[in-house]
Amino acid sequence: MIWFNLIIQGILVGGFYALFACGLSLMFGVMRVINLAHGDMAVVAGYVAVMLTPHFHIPMLWSFLVVVPLFGLVGYLVQRTLIQKSIDRDPFTTLLVTFGLSVVIENALLQLYTANAQTISIGSILYKSWHPASIIYISYQSLVVLAIAVVVLASLQLFLSKTGTGRQIRAVADDQEAAQLSGTNYRHIFGVAAAISFATVALAGIAYGMTTQFAPTSGGINLLFAFEAVVIGGIGSLWGTLVGGIALGIAQQIGSHINPQYTLLGGNVLFLIVLAIRPQGLFGKKSSL
Amino acid sequence: MSLLQLEGVSKKFGQVVVGEQITFQLEEARAIGIVGPNGAGKTSLFGIISGDIRPDAGTIHFEGNDLLKLNSAQRARAGIGRTYQVPRPFEHMTVFENALVAAQQGARLRSQHSYDLAYDSLERTGLSEFANQPAGSLTLLHRKRLELSRALATSPRVLLLDEIAGGLTDLEVNELTAIIRQLQSDGIAIVWIEHVVRALLNTVDRLICLAAGKIVADGDPQEVLSSAAVRELYLGGKVVGESVQ
Repeated sequence: MIWFNLIIQGILVGGFYALFACGLSLMFGVMRVINLAHGDMAVVAGYVAVMLTPHFHIPMLWSFLVVVPLFGLVGYLVQRTLIQKSIDRDPFTTLLVTFGLSVVIENALLQLYTANAQTISIGSILYKSWHPASIIYISYQSLVVLAIAVVVLASLQLFLSKTGTGRQIRAVADDQEAAQLSGTNYRHIFGVAAAISFATVALAGIAYGMTTQFAPTSGGINLLFAFEAVVIGGIGSLWGTLVGGIALGIAQQIGSHINPQYTLLGGNVLFLIVLAIRPQGLFGKKSSL
Repeated sequence: MSLLQLEGVSKKFGQVVVGEQITFQLEEARAIGIVGPNGAGKTSLFGIISGDIRPDAGTIHFEGNDLLKLNSAQRARAGIGRTYQVPRPFEHMTVFENALVAAQQGARLRSQHSYDLAYDSLERTGLSEFANQPAGSLTLLHRKRLELSRALATSPRVLLLDEIAGGLTDLEVNELTAIIRQLQSDGIAIVWIEHVVRALLNTVDRLICLAAGKIVADGDPQEVLSSAAVRELYLGGKVVGESVQ
């Protein structure tokens, strides 16, 4: 029963990791950019939700309605200006630029909002849990986040396979020059992919802020989890990212069961095992979406 | 007015000259073949016309409009279709989706119209039975046909074909040549780079020979092939100054 509970809890937290990671995976799959500021964007989304939504007079729970579209727009603009310029130079520049962006964001948040931890309080509706057996507690909130993750991934998959823009994203991911020859403006498509990436990570950031406390420096550890989920699942595969997130969650739960200090270790060990045995990840193909 | 008009087009990569004062016109629904030794600048010329490569000097007009003001996606929409020497399909998409992206973006069609054009372009190259296969699983011949279909799905006025017969058997070459002749008679102008000269002679009504980025011969295919300049070139002569010695 203990193991069953570990798996349940791992799946629940894995949904959050997948939501967090899918944008990272998309950016890499489409434009070969590892956005090192990905985790920080989630933190910024949390702060924006906390600081701005009172001005719009909407409840915290619905803050994502403002923040997610806003981040989509920011993502498009950041890609078309900052990231595209660095792509035009070379891949290494994109690492430096996004790393620099991460440093700037953390320090700007520290300056503006101090190092105090924040939380997005949504009242008690989601803080209850379902208690189906003696030691199993399923928090409604984690369940909702897992459901959101599945819905987001399914919608994204559907968008990529069934819409014209989605097909353009896949075409650009496969061969951007050939896509140009077919009439696709790859810079615009890069912008759209970045918009989706930023919007999903904003959603993940808000979910994170509702679950736990966050501070200006919370981005780094979340970037690590997202990165591990993507690599375990296989780069470029959206469902792989969900499975990767869940596998990471379960490994962390097992680690924490052995010793509460081993939570991160459990995940890192799985990450290393996957890298050693199956470096393309569980569902990895070469650069597919 | 010519469909495509190049005037004094030049391009150097460092010390390597891939284009020097290239001037020629292509009329509607005509077919030009381009031959020349490796490194003569044939593929670079296509890159310059399709927008992958920016020339150092010269002008290119397409239907009277300045082509150099457009990026390669805009040129594809304007009516320039191009195939690559080594086919570059979108490997993780189906054959139909490959053509569909071109029909929706290159030809700017929506919904049913784009499906019709995509299907029609596969039909014309004999690929329709493979429509739902992943493009990555195709054989070389079928990849070359998909390359052609995808270019056709952009509704081109001119098609730039880069060694589309290379690596195919005689029978396959004949099939492909028949398709290309049909496209020409449908009103699409063709510029065709090819080492398989026999395939060219059946199709083109004019031949240009490039060497070291320069046009060394231009005219009737038989006359160009039998000209002293071209024979010397293929027999290992050196290009000096304006002509082959």
